[in-house]
Amino acid sequence: MTAEAAVALLPEWLPQQRWFAGKNQPIDSVRAVAATRLRDTDPEVWHLLVEVAQGDRRDTYQVPVSLREHYDDRLEHILLGDAEGRYVYDALHDKEATAELLQRFADQDRVGTLSFHTEPGASLPLGESSLVLTHEQSNTSLAYGDVALLKAFRRVVPGINPDIEIHDALTRAESEYVAPLLGWLDGSWVDGSGQRQEAGLAMLQAFLTTATDGWALATTSVRDLYAEGDLHADEVGGDFAGEAERLGFATAEVHAALTEVLPTRMLSGDDLVAMAARMRSRLDAAVVTVPELTQHAPVLAEAFDRLAALDEAVAAQRIHGDLHLGQVVRTVVGWKLVDFEGEPAKSLAERVALDSPIRDVAAMLRSFDYAALHLLVVDHPGSDQIAYRASEWAERNQAAFCDGYAKAAGHDPREDVVLLRAYETDKVVYEAVYEARNRPAWLAIPLAAVERFATDPR
Amino acid sequence: MNHEHTLPAPGTDPQWFKRAVFYEVLVRSFKDSDGDGVGDLSGLIERLDHLEWLGVDCLWLPPFYPSPLRDGGYDVSDYKNVLPEFGTLEDFSRFVRLAHDRGMRVIVDFVMNHTSDQHAWFQSSREDPDGPYGDFYVWADDDSGYPEARIIFVDTETSNWSFDPVRRQYYWHRFFSHQPDLNYDNPAVAEAMVDALRFWLDLGIDGFRLDAVPYLFEEEGTNCENLPQTHEFLKQVRKVIEDEYPDTVLLCEANQWPADVVEYFGDFSAGGDECHMAFHFPVMPRIFMAVRRESRYPVSEIMAQTPVIPTNCQWGIFLRNHDELTLEMVTDDERDYMWTEYAKDPRMKANIGIRRRLAPLLENDTNQIELFTALLLSLPGSPVLYYGDEIGMGDNIWLGDRDGVRTPMQWTPDRNAGFSTADPGRLTLPAVMDAVYGYQVTNVESQVTNTSSLLHWTRRMIEARKENPAFGLGDFIDLGGSNPSVLSYVRAFGDDIVLCVNNLSRFPQPVELDLRRFEGSQPVELMGGVRFPPIGELPYLLTLAPHGFYWFRLVQPIAEAIQ
Repeated sequence: MTAEAAVALLPEWLPQQRWFAGKNQPIDSVRAVAATRLRDTDPEVWHLLVEVAQGDRRDTYQVPVSLREHYDDRLEHILLGDAEGRYVYDALHDKEATAELLQRFADQDRVGTLSFHTEPGASLPLGESSLVLTHEQSNTSLAYGDVALLKAFRRVVPGINPDIEIHDALTRAESEYVAPLLGWLDGSWVDGSGQRQEAGLAMLQAFLTTATDGWALATTSVRDLYAEGDLHADEVGGDFAGEAERLGFATAEVHAALTEVLPTRMLSGDDLVAMAARMRSRLDAAVVTVPELTQHAPVLAEAFDRLAALDEAVAAQRIHGDLHLGQVVRTVVGWKLVDFEGEPAKSLAERVALDSPIRDVAAMLRSFDYAALHLLVVDHPGSDQIAYRASEWAERNQAAFCDGYAKAAGHDPREDVVLLRAYETDKVVYEAVYEARNRPAWLAIPLAAVERFATDPR
Repeated sequence: MNHEHTLPAPGTDPQWFKRAVFYEVLVRSFKDSDGDGVGDLSGLIERLDHLEWLGVDCLWLPPFYPSPLRDGGYDVSDYKNVLPEFGTLEDFSRFVRLAHDRGMRVIVDFVMNHTSDQHAWFQSSREDPDGPYGDFYVWADDDSGYPEARIIFVDTETSNWSFDPVRRQYYWHRFFSHQPDLNYDNPAVAEAMVDALRFWLDLGIDGFRLDAVPYLFEEEGTNCENLPQTHEFLKQVRKVIEDEYPDTVLLCEANQWPADVVEYFGDFSAGGDECHMAFHFPVMPRIFMAVRRESRYPVSEIMAQTPVIPTNCQWGIFLRNHDELTLEMVTDDERDYMWTEYAKDPRMKANIGIRRRLAPLLENDTNQIELFTALLLSLPGSPVLYYGDEIGMGDNIWLGDRDGVRTPMQWTPDRNAGFSTADPGRLTLPAVMDAVYGYQVTNVESQVTNTSSLLHWTRRMIEARKENPAFGLGDFIDLGGSNPSVLSYVRAFGDDIVLCVNNLSRFPQPVELDLRRFEGSQPVELMGGVRFPPIGELPYLLTLAPHGFYWFRLVQPIAEAIQ
């Protein structure tokens, strides 16, 4: 079969792709675990799921390819190579191939091991040509015209896909705070151990034209503040608090909608003890990587002790799981939350676990801190004046976010003192480890928060 | 005198108002021809050449009728005459004719809702309740009616009812107590008003700005705004216009949200059968807010909320006018914010607005003034300029009510700004004399001489607008883009496609635009004609100076063979 010849090109091609997770390890083998032909005529299109073996590691990737009889200049940058006299391209960049994908959605097709689904009443942008927008760490997104966005998950994890699941649930709940889901693609394959696996492979959703992410908006405001030596955060023109408040409102609305359409439960005292223990062990491990934490570790740990001792049941539900300013976008009709995949580094079970929505709130509060400080650590290290202003900005916008959240939720997340501080502390510990490993210049941001938490133990 | 611009024959250009640049001119403050300290129609005639040179298509005259002038002339005491200080009916006819000779049209304010309490109708109504005018106003024995109607001038009025000691009854007034509302439930009132409209149309004018339209009728149990009877009446007025005066236009002043204002265009399927134009009030404060916030969302949001309007209709948009910067169309939070940002001195606040001119609002920052003007000239709708803003005139916040933005036009650095030869103490309002905006530095004469002046710049922009029908007639497509501080949109009318990119930030900004739908086209900058790189499939990168903007026309690239 022709697909095999294309698979033979992958060991060389995969490590060059941004979404390929195993870059630091040689590839032992790549084999197709599912191959479905989506188009017969030139360009022939194959949907491939391949299993990549790297030592003990086995990862499954989604690699649609198109095979063309003739070399195409415009596709040169996504050529995998030639196989059996035909040129093999990354099909997500090949407009004829992506048009085929869209048609399959429209037909709600079941072909090979693939099944294409659409939401009731979804209208698909047939005839619009596609353009790849971004390669993120684990997916490739392409826009059909300015109508729909197809997000193909490159590294495929067996089981339910939380991004599809939550978008589906919120779309059916008619939430105005997410981009409506139009359709999704499921697939199955037999893995190396002979088990049949299933996973969500791609999702098609409304494209948010005119959107910019919250990080870009927030840092615009911060930049404006830095330019004013003598004005406070509430005095400069670029004040972000109104947006932060609306964002808090939107977040609370999404949380409320999730409790209506997806499971909830109460976390017992035992659950909290276990959660505190996990946070504690992460702190212990972090101290090894980031010695700067050592001094404050005992005080930080107290936040977890208080969580363990919390004598009340805590409501848990599905949450965003990786909420930050880069995961929210401002559109002309307000804020939308995007990317419900959860933290990429976590296991699927952890990502879909029910948790307190206060975790999302804590994560967003931390994001405001990052927005306020990241320009400082990069561009103005050592400026006490700007540092002071920056912390004012963070506090003002954190407060506004909580105000907005409280307005929609009916209760103020700041009242959940113990929970909030435990989640914030856990997040800061995670950030410290991440920055120490990846961006040492930014380590100052979580460390400043550590310092603050330590001197103001709640 | 020969003029290259003359008006097309009547009936041949019914949609002229969609492409027109309007200019609001206060007769009182523009030019005084006889040295009595008050601007007049003959003075305005003397300065028509300036307006023609600037590129103005249509003049809008606020009320010039006989009036006790307790509300800037909006308190009319005779609908069929000219305030003697301004001249005569003959002067008015001459003004209209000479404006037409220069290709400029004229629309006049018409106050529909109320008269002055000095109007003969009201005097007759209060003295003779059973006489022919007894029922011309809204009378009641007590002041309990229509409790749901809000009070508009909250600074000065405590009720919409006032007691008249002569008739010993209460009369209804939505505005000042010296402006009794006409009673449109009485057919004789409607007839008298249509008769007055015909009077001016017969003198050759090209349309009316209908003042305070939403309040014509009252009805118990409602807020007395936008009632169906009001729309019925407007349809009647429109019919008179259509049948008897082709090419004339009705511009409605309804300070409401666009979704409500759209009602005043009338029936969609008929292409609109009430007003041809209506002011889009919320755009203006949103522009101020967007630039201050360095975020495009205040503008993008209001554009997204703006409903489609019938095919034969057009919005009117403005940055400033003779009223305060109206803040009724922003939320309470936003209003507080605008007040803190733009009205630092409490005297700058008036009613629910801010009484400043454009230049002082923007602290005389040329880049911002140009950016605001570029937005005014490129957002959907016909732009309405306010006299004096083309040279960046200032205001005088120490004058009462809204007079601070109605000071004499500054023509020259000479006495009284060249506005009048009167003794300075006799002027209708003192000319601005401060160090920044005073007439010694800010005046038409110096800016005509200096080709890099705001005046010349404004003229060039108006010219560029006129060369591209997309500005007046085109669709509006918000492009979004990677940078929240950059507002980018396309105006498209047939093959005339204009791309406008505006940096709302005081810092330089890059932006990546998704222009795939124009793949293969080439942007040509409108002011200089420079060709930018062709549009491909990838995001189109532009960089902008602080408060900078671009206007591009998107054209097909010149074929290699022709080069």
